[in-house]
Amino acid sequence: MSHLMNRAAVIWVPPLYRFCAVHHRSLSTYSHEEQEVKLRKLSAAAAILASSALVLSGCTPGDDDDNGNGDDVTDENGETTDEGGEEDGDEGEASGEREALDLETTDDEIHVSVADVDFVSYNGNARTANNTTNSAIVGLMGSSFWYFGTDLSINPFDEFGSYEVIDEGEAVYEEDEDGETVLDEETGEPVINEDESSPMVVEYTISDDAVWSDGTDITVADFVLTWGTQAPGISNPDFDEEAAEEDPDYDESPHLFDSVSKSFGEYVPDGPQGDLDGKTFTVEYSDHYVYVDWQLVVGGPQPSHIVAEQGGLSVEELAEAFYEKDGGALEEAAEFWNTGWHVQGGDLPDADLLPSSGPYVLDSYATGEYLSLVANEDYWGTPAGTERVTFHFLDDGIMTQALENADVDVIAPQATVDTLEQLEASNRDIEIYEQELATWEHLDLNHGSESPFSDHEVREAFALCVPRQLIIDNLIAPLSDDIELLNAREVFNYQDHYDEVVSESYDGRYDEQDIERARELLDEAGHDTVEIEIGYQAPNPRRSDQVQLISEQCSEAGFEISDGGHDAFFAEVIPTGDWDVALFAWAGSGQIASGRNLYHSEGGQNDGNWSNEDLDAAWDELVVTMDEEDRIPLIQEIERILWDDLMSIPLFVHPGTFAADASIDNVRTTAAQTGITWNADQWQRSAE
Amino acid sequence: MLKYTLKRLGSTVLVLFLASILVFFLTVHSGDPLADLRESNDPDAPFEMEQRIYHMQLDQPWYTRYWGWLQGVLGCFRLSCDFGTNREGQDLNPILMQAAEDSLRLVFIATIASIVLGILIGILTAIRQYSVFDYSVSFIVFLFFSLPTFWAAVLAKDYLAIYFNDWMQEGAEFSWGQLLLISGVMAVVVPLIAGGSAMRRLVTGAVVGLFSAGALWYFDSAQFALYPRVGALGVILLSFGLAVGLTALIAGLKNRQVLYTALTVAALSIVSYYATWNLLQDPPGGWFFLGALFVLTIVICVVIARTMGGYAKGQATSVAVLTGVLSSALILLDHFMYHWPNMMSLKPRPISTIGSHTRRFTEDDVTWWQVNLDLLTQLWIPTVILMLISLATYTRYTRSSMLEVARQDYIRTARAKGASERTVVLKHAFRNALIPLATIVAFDFAGLIGGTVVLERIFNWNGMGQLFVTALQQVDPAPVMGFMIITGFVAVLFNFFADILYAVLDPRIRV
Repeated sequence: MSHLMNRAAVIWVPPLYRFCAVHHRSLSTYSHEEQEVKLRKLSAAAAILASSALVLSGCTPGDDDDNGNGDDVTDENGETTDEGGEEDGDEGEASGEREALDLETTDDEIHVSVADVDFVSYNGNARTANNTTNSAIVGLMGSSFWYFGTDLSINPFDEFGSYEVIDEGEAVYEEDEDGETVLDEETGEPVINEDESSPMVVEYTISDDAVWSDGTDITVADFVLTWGTQAPGISNPDFDEEAAEEDPDYDESPHLFDSVSKSFGEYVPDGPQGDLDGKTFTVEYSDHYVYVDWQLVVGGPQPSHIVAEQGGLSVEELAEAFYEKDGGALEEAAEFWNTGWHVQGGDLPDADLLPSSGPYVLDSYATGEYLSLVANEDYWGTPAGTERVTFHFLDDGIMTQALENADVDVIAPQATVDTLEQLEASNRDIEIYEQELATWEHLDLNHGSESPFSDHEVREAFALCVPRQLIIDNLIAPLSDDIELLNAREVFNYQDHYDEVVSESYDGRYDEQDIERARELLDEAGHDTVEIEIGYQAPNPRRSDQVQLISEQCSEAGFEISDGGHDAFFAEVIPTGDWDVALFAWAGSGQIASGRNLYHSEGGQNDGNWSNEDLDAAWDELVVTMDEEDRIPLIQEIERILWDDLMSIPLFVHPGTFAADASIDNVRTTAAQTGITWNADQWQRSAE
Repeated sequence: MLKYTLKRLGSTVLVLFLASILVFFLTVHSGDPLADLRESNDPDAPFEMEQRIYHMQLDQPWYTRYWGWLQGVLGCFRLSCDFGTNREGQDLNPILMQAAEDSLRLVFIATIASIVLGILIGILTAIRQYSVFDYSVSFIVFLFFSLPTFWAAVLAKDYLAIYFNDWMQEGAEFSWGQLLLISGVMAVVVPLIAGGSAMRRLVTGAVVGLFSAGALWYFDSAQFALYPRVGALGVILLSFGLAVGLTALIAGLKNRQVLYTALTVAALSIVSYYATWNLLQDPPGGWFFLGALFVLTIVICVVIARTMGGYAKGQATSVAVLTGVLSSALILLDHFMYHWPNMMSLKPRPISTIGSHTRRFTEDDVTWWQVNLDLLTQLWIPTVILMLISLATYTRYTRSSMLEVARQDYIRTARAKGASERTVVLKHAFRNALIPLATIVAFDFAGLIGGTVVLERIFNWNGMGQLFVTALQQVDPAPVMGFMIITGFVAVLFNFFADILYAVLDPRIRV
C-alpha cells in the first residue's frame, strides 16, 4: 500500500521494503524495515527505534490534529535553536550538541510522559517494540557511538567510544555511451563500476571502560550481534520459498530475526571485523562502496553474552554462526531475541536478562500505567542526573492536568491550541517549550499526464494563488510565533545552511499571492477553470482548514478545488496515481540520502511522476558526496529545480509543544525524533 | 431456603451461559481481526497473520472457538479457570485478574458509598417532602446525574486534586473567609434538614454555625489535615455516643437492657482499641486479618446481645452489631489517620490525577498502612465521580419508595396504635421501602462497571474498561469474554443477593 510517507527511507533498499504504512499506528510501526538506523546518542537498541519513530511520523500524515492516533504525539519531538523564545536561556545550545555537564546523581524521581503507548520490549530493535515510549525508554538504557543533536546534527559520543574513517573509498557509477549514469532496472539505483570503485572503511573503538550493567565488558561481539540480527543473508532454515509461494497457509517467516532495521546488514555485508572480545573493529562498505549517511549505520551494542546464553551457544559460537550465516545454529537465539525480552503477562523479564549500556537500568513496571528506570551504578560515563526516571503512559488529554498536579514533571503533548491555553493558564510554575520540529508540511503536485498539473503554467498559477503566509497566520501562529514560511525541503529554517541554500535557489516569488498573475497564467494555458482535488489523510481538522483556505483564495484565480480528504489516502489514493495535490508532512530525520527516493525520477517513493534529468544527476552525485561543504551547492541545485519545476510547495515546519515543571533543570527540546527525553539523563530537580 | 437459593443459582448459570454465547457470537462477527495486517505491506505480515490465526484459532468456525473458550472457563468449577489468550498469545488470567482487581475496587467502594449516602438523603428528603431542602437536593442530585463523566473528571481533578494539593502544601489552613463561608453554609443547610418552627431553625442555625466555626478553627490550629487523629478520647466519646445514639434510634433509651448491651459493646471496643494497637501497626496478612477481626467483632457482639438482651434480644442484636461495626470502623479510621503523615512524607501531594497506585509505594520500605492510604487517595476522585453520578438514582428511588410506603394502610395503623415516629419511619416504612431498592442496587453495580470505561481512561487506570474497549476494537473475543464473564458474574451475584434480600425483607415472600 502506501509508499510515500517515509521520508526517512534509505535509498538503496529493495523495492519490496520500500513502503510505509500510513494511517494507523500498528501499520506504520511495521512498515519500515528499510529504515536506516538513525541512532541517537544512546542505545544500540534504541537506534532503530528511533528510526522507526521517524517513520511513524513520516508515515503519519495526521501528525498534529488527528487525535485518534497515538503516534502523532510520538513524532513531536522538537527542538529549539536560537529562536526558541521560551528556552531556558541556557547559552551555547545553538550547536545542537549535548552540553557537557558534570553531574552527580541526586536521590530523586522525575516523572515524564511522552505518549499513551505502553512499553513493549527491552529489545528496541524488535519490530513490535517500535513505538515512541519504548524508544525513549530503551534510549536511556543504552549508549552508542553517536547521537542526534537538537538540530538533527550527528555528533560523536566520546564517552562510549570513537570512530574514524580510515579509507574514504570511492564509488564510480557505470555510464552508458552518452555519459549518462546507468540505473539498475529493478531498484532504480545507479549501477556501480566495481573495478574502479573502492569501499569506504571505518574503524570503531569502544571505550575501555565500557561495561554492561551486569559487569560484562562491552566488546566487538556485541556489535556482531547488532549487525547479525540485521544481516539479510541469515534466513530461517525452515523456510521453504516454494512452499511459501504455493501454500497460502504457509506459516514460517523468511527471517530469523524480526528486526525493524536491516541497514547495518545490507551496507556492511561482511560485518564488523575485529577481535571478538576486543574493543576495536572495522566495517567495510563493500556493498555500495560509499554511503553518505554512513554515520547512522553503526550505533549501539546489544548484549551478545545474554543472547548467546539463551540461545545455548557461547559468544564465539554465536558470532561464528552470524559470520557463517548459519541460520540453523541461531534458531534458539533468534527465538529469544524476537520475544524473550518482551513484557509477558504484565511482568518484565528477569532483570538478569536486561543489562544496560547506558545511564539507566529497568526497575519496575505496571501494565498500562508506568515504567520506572533507576540509575545504572556501573555506568562508566557521566552519571545520571537523577536516581530515578519514571515514564507514565498518559493520553494527551490528561497530560496537562497531571503536570499541573505534579504527578508528572515533563510532558510532550500534542501541539494544539487547547493544550497551549491550558498550559498557559496553569497556576503551577511550569516552563513551556515551543520547538520547531523536523516534520514539515507541504503540497505535492502530481505531474502525471492525467493531472492538470502536467502543465507547468497551471502549476505556477496554483503556486501563485496558494495563501502560504495566510495559512501560517491563521493556523500555525496561534501555536507558535516562531514558525515562518518554509522555503526549502532539504534544510529547515532553523538549520545552519538554510539561508545559504534558499538564497541561491529561490527568489521569494511565491511568498506573496498574486491572484491576477495566476489568472493570466491559466488564460495563457487555455483554461477557463481548472478542477483539482487536494487530498490528505482524513480526519485532520488542520488540513481541512488549509484546504478551505486554499480553495477560497484559488477560486478567484479560476481553480475549482474540492476537498479530497480520505481515510486511507496514502493506502488507497496515492498508489493509483489518481490525485492532483497531496497535502501532508514528512518527518525529516537528518538523513541526507533519503530525498533521492522521493525526487529522483526512478525513486521508489516518487509518486508524483516527477522527472528532471538535472535533478536526477544532482541527487546521484549528492549521495556519494561525503564532504558537507561540497554538498551545499548540490542541495542548492536540487532546491532550485524543485522550485522551478514545482514538484512540491513547502509550507511550514510543524511546531511542537513541550512543558516541564520549572524546577527541572536541563530539559532541552530537540528537532530530532529522539524526543524530549533525549537528554533525560541530565535532568535534575533544582534544590529549592 | 436452600431450594430457593439453588434454583436461583441454577438460573444464574444458565443466564450467564446464554449471554456468553450471544456476546461471543457478536464479538466474533463485529469485524475483521486481521484488518490491520491486511492493510500492512510489511513483508512479514503474512507470517504475523498466521501467528494470529493460530493464537485466535481463526481457521475454526466460531462455535468451535467458543467451545474451546468454554472448556477453559468451565475449569472454574474445578477451581482452575482458564480465560484463554489474547490475540498476541498472552495468557489472559494474570491480565484479567489485575484489571478486575482495580476496577472492582473502584466500583465496589463507589457503590457502597452512594448506597449509604443516597438512602440517607432519600429518607431525609422524603421526611421533608416539598421543603426547600427537598427541592435543593433534587436539583443538586439531578445536576450530578447529568454531568458528563469526562467533564466532571476534569473539574474534579482541578478542585479535588490540584487545588487541594496546593492547599495541603501551603500549610493546610482555612483562611478566615473560607471559615466563615463554610460555617455560614452549614448554618443555613442544617436547619433546613432539621426542620421545625422558624425560631427553632434560627437557634439551630446559630448553634451549628458557631460549632462549625469552632471546629474549623480547631482543625486549623491542630493542623488536622496534616496530622489527623480520632485519638483515644475521640474513640471513647464516639463509641459511647454511638451506643447511646443507636439505642435511642432503634430501641429507645427507655429500653435499659438494650442500652446496657450497647454500652458493654462500646466499652469492649475501647478495650480492644488499646489491646490491638501494636498488633495492628503491621497487620499480619493485611486485609484478611482485618476481615477476620471484623467477623470476630460481629460474633462477639451477637453473643453479648443474645446473653444480655433479655426480652429485647432482636433489637439488642441490631444495636450491638451496629455499635460494634461502627466502633471498629472508627478504630480503623484512627489507624489510617495515624499513618497519614507517614504517607504524606513520601507523597507530599496526596491526591493524584493518574494511576491506580503510586510507584513509590511498591518499594519494600513502606508499611501496609501507607500502601493502602495510597490506594485510597488514588481511588478518591474516581470514586467521588462515580458516586455522585449514581447518587441520584438511589436518592430518588429511596424518596419515592418511602413516600409510597408512607401512604400505606399499615403505616396509618402503626401511627394509630401509638407507635413513635421513630418506630414508624425506621421499622415500618424504611424496611418496606428497601425492597424495590434491592433490585436497583444489583443492576446499578453492573452498570457502574461499564461506566468506568471512560473514567479509567481519564485516570490512566489499566482496568477492565480499557481491556474491553481495546479488545473489542481488535475483534479479540477472549478479553471481551473475560470482561463479560467477570462483570456478568458480579452482576448476577448481586442480583442473587438482591433476591435473597427480598426474602429477608419481605415477609410475604415465603421461600
